Amino acid sequence: MGVELELQILNSHDYNLSRDAVDLLALLEKIGHPGAIKPEITESMIELNSSVHSNYEALLVELRQIRDTVVRAAAQLNLRIAGGGSHPFHDWSERRIYPTERFRHLLEVYGYLAKQFTVFGQHIHIGCPDGDAALYLTHILSRYVPHFIALSASSPFQQGTDTGFQSSRLNTVSAFPLSGSMPFLQKWDNFVAYFEKMRGFHIVESMKDFYWDVRPKPDYGTVEIRVLDTPLTVERAALLAAYAQTLAYYALVKRPLQVSEDMYLVYKYNRFQACRYGFDANYADVHARRQISLQRDILGTLELLSPYSARLNTRKALDVLHADASMRRGDAAWLREAHRKFGSLNDVARCQSEEWAGRHTLISAQA
Amino acid sequence: MANVEFLPQFPIPDNPFALFGILLLAGALAGELVRRVLNLPRITGYVLIGLTLGASGLNLLDTRMFDYMRVFFDIGLGLVLFELGRRLDLNWLRHDRWLAVLALAECLLSFGSMFTVLLWFGIEPLYATVAAAIGVSSSPAIVMLVARELKAEGQITERALNLVAINSVTAFVLTTMLLSWIHHEYHASWLIALLHPFYILVGSFYAGFLASVLVLMLARWLGKQVELHLTLLLAMIIFLVGAAEALKLSVLMTLLTFGVLVRNMDQDHALMSVDLGSFGQAFFIVLFVATGAMLRIDNLITGFGVAAGYIAARFVGKSIGVMCFAHLSGIRAGSGGLLSIALLPMSGVALAMTYSAGKFYPAFNEKLSAIVLAAALILELIGPLAVQFALRSAKEARTAT
Repeated sequence: MGVELELQILNSHDYNLSRDAVDLLALLEKIGHPGAIKPEITESMIELNSSVHSNYEALLVELRQIRDTVVRAAAQLNLRIAGGGSHPFHDWSERRIYPTERFRHLLEVYGYLAKQFTVFGQHIHIGCPDGDAALYLTHILSRYVPHFIALSASSPFQQGTDTGFQSSRLNTVSAFPLSGSMPFLQKWDNFVAYFEKMRGFHIVESMKDFYWDVRPKPDYGTVEIRVLDTPLTVERAALLAAYAQTLAYYALVKRPLQVSEDMYLVYKYNRFQACRYGFDANYADVHARRQISLQRDILGTLELLSPYSARLNTRKALDVLHADASMRRGDAAWLREAHRKFGSLNDVARCQSEEWAGRHTLISAQA
Repeated sequence: MANVEFLPQFPIPDNPFALFGILLLAGALAGELVRRVLNLPRITGYVLIGLTLGASGLNLLDTRMFDYMRVFFDIGLGLVLFELGRRLDLNWLRHDRWLAVLALAECLLSFGSMFTVLLWFGIEPLYATVAAAIGVSSSPAIVMLVARELKAEGQITERALNLVAINSVTAFVLTTMLLSWIHHEYHASWLIALLHPFYILVGSFYAGFLASVLVLMLARWLGKQVELHLTLLLAMIIFLVGAAEALKLSVLMTLLTFGVLVRNMDQDHALMSVDLGSFGQAFFIVLFVATGAMLRIDNLITGFGVAAGYIAARFVGKSIGVMCFAHLSGIRAGSGGLLSIALLPMSGVALAMTYSAGKFYPAFNEKLSAIVLAAALILELIGPLAVQFALRSAKEARTAT
């Protein structure tokens, strides 16, 4: 597995988004860093990539190293780095597109949506043995998309207001025409034919142009889960990766559930519920033909995974997530608590950056 | 004859409010005209209209008006210095030591080169020293306002603002300490020569410190309410300008200290980062018109040679300081030059310093003005262009597209 994290670059006087990605990346290039660090669509974002790991603890060690390097380089430029799925109060119209050919092209195609796309997600890659398995995994993970949304939700604020959502970030993604979920195809050959057709229509050029919540990524031989908000800490990012890894392992080894088109009948409903209400969402379970609370479905799944987590050495991670889910603890609640406590969204952004840097001094809504 | 005392008497007496309104309107219109016709920064327009109305032009703003104008000038300068102080981040200097080294080098080298050039022009050491000390400063008003007009944001802008703040503090401390020498030159007693700078430095610092403590206390009590924090800051800024004047302290140093401390002492982030810009804009315009009116073209004619040498020496000193250390201080390759260009302007603060350095000795003031004011005039006019050029070339200006 591997992890990509999109991060916010903040200035240090009012904690608004800054526009220093170019300078920050140049400095990081100069001083050297572990992992990979890349530009993102606007100049207020950067993306960290881990290497490939099979053990989540090793992943965490690497993520911490990358984080420390980036935080130190940012401090030299008087900038702060923050996690979280959205910046609480930036104005999208002030954003500037990162100066590369691809991003300029996206601005041309998508107009203001490109600038509004200044939201921050975590992507988790899971390696797959072959194409058919990747398609199975992509479909079966759609059943668990609400889990990842609820467990990572960290974008309650957008453009200066409390949205009432736990994750408002995904609403931004939904505006794109190629977002949503992959068509219901189960054989790799059929998938390749579909892709070629879309390329024939000049709708896409590469897999990158599909903004699906879960998508196969043939270049890496992985399935990529893209619905997660970037958590407030690398620790949580690693926990979520451990969950994805264990879940995928269970799904591929055990093949516990049939994939069916019915899964996509409830897909949008479940996804919306999770964004809006987090752990308190309703969850429509196609296979059991019933509705339960998302919290119960998550807890149930975590318990089900227990034998597999022992094999993958992810038991500790899943225990933490279990505790958080049973207490309904999460980053969105943490951010709202910060807002209540300090009274301004500038302070929320500041807390986000301090939390990211690993200085957990302010509040402890999170264990 | 009927009693007509209810009617105004001729000549109609001067009125500070009418003057403020006229300066503001004239400045705003000239700024817009300069921007539309010549595509120059508005600030250049403010200064030009000031020159036109002032002693060098139509002489509508004669010396009688200067006392009124000083009030607006001081409030404008106070606002600018407070804003600038608030941008000075001492934490940054700790994280990026090379930036601190760069600031020090650039101050020392510019001082040294200006001093040498002035001596070479045959200026007496005392005047050369004071003028060189004043020249260490960079104009906070020009750099801040051009950055604001361009909505510039980024490493060059932030570094320029921090360096301007450091330059202003250094220049101020130097000129104040040099008061001892000036007093000594004019045979004042040793006690006065020592106490006067001490009183100004310590007094101004302490006033700024007290204001910061008080404002932070009140901000904590008020809670996070933008309007109230704005009012709180405005009240304290205007009060401090008045108090510093009444106590014969330095408006400059007091407000700068207030800005620096209110940010850097605010450990628990009690004060919101409110934007004084919309309120300040009126005062900023008048500040530049007034500066323009105070400058004199005849200074330029008599002192052009010296002024040119002084400016060149200043620019070379600052550039060498910046260029030597820019690449060590986490900045993009090649942007050191732009940073030096952004530090070129020198004006309002220099004027205020010249005025206060020579306040007690008119003869001294006259001689010093001859050296500094011509340079101030030139830099007041080309300074905004330089900053605009630097920030645009650094791609930090937010363009309309």
